[in-house]
Amino acid sequence: MRRDVFQAIADPVRREIIQLLADQPLTVNAVAGKFDVSRPAISKHLKILNECGIIEINQQGRERLCLIKPESLVPAFMWIDQYRTLWENRIDAFEEYLEELKSKNKNIQKK
Amino acid sequence: MSETANRTLTIERKFNAPIQLVWEAWTRPEHIAKWWGPKGMEVKVEKHDFRVGGKWKYSMTMPDGNAFISEGEYVEIEAPNKIITSANFKPMTEGVELQMLFEEESEQTRFIFHCVHPTEEYCKQQEAMGFYNGWGSAFDRLAGFVAP
Repeated sequence: MRRDVFQAIADPVRREIIQLLADQPLTVNAVAGKFDVSRPAISKHLKILNECGIIEINQQGRERLCLIKPESLVPAFMWIDQYRTLWENRIDAFEEYLEELKSKNKNIQKK
Repeated sequence: MSETANRTLTIERKFNAPIQLVWEAWTRPEHIAKWWGPKGMEVKVEKHDFRVGGKWKYSMTMPDGNAFISEGEYVEIEAPNKIITSANFKPMTEGVELQMLFEEESEQTRFIFHCVHPTEEYCKQQEAMGFYNGWGSAFDRLAGFVAP
């Protein structure tokens, strides 16, 4: 089976898991607790996310802690609606910079 | 509607600045370095051959040491109204076309930006991935280092 970011996000439960883990690292149990899906099903999703390189699963004492690796989501991030956000942000930055330039120019004219 | 319409991202703005200033800020390397990257991220303008057929290349070094490269080749330049360029954002995506249109409106400037994705199939594939809702917070956190 293919193991990449696109495979990882192809499933709605996995997308939700990614979103949960983007906020904070959670133990496998804590992740399972957030879903009505069976625990083995969640484990399987976590395993796939791990194999796709989206999350790390670290043993911490008795618990297993899931951590997101945000850089792994970059390829997916680029293609979607968020593409828009990215350009909007860049154009916002441009607009702010324009304002800076304008006020600088004004100061020069005053002098 | 053109053939490219459904694989094109369009953004329209009105800048409260005269067109000459907007053009300068958008096209001069010393200015580009100031706004191209996300806040706090240093942008190096490595190449800036601002003429048709000329190449441009900007790089940003991420905190983890990896570099993001944006580069392309100018296809059309009509000062101060129009720029069309090819663009590759490495390592994310290649073969994008960017179109920037500037129109004077008294002391303001209307700005129309098109980002044309490589193929329709590509777009469909993206849509099929089902990225619609609820990605806000995850992506906010990512936004800092994903800007091409």
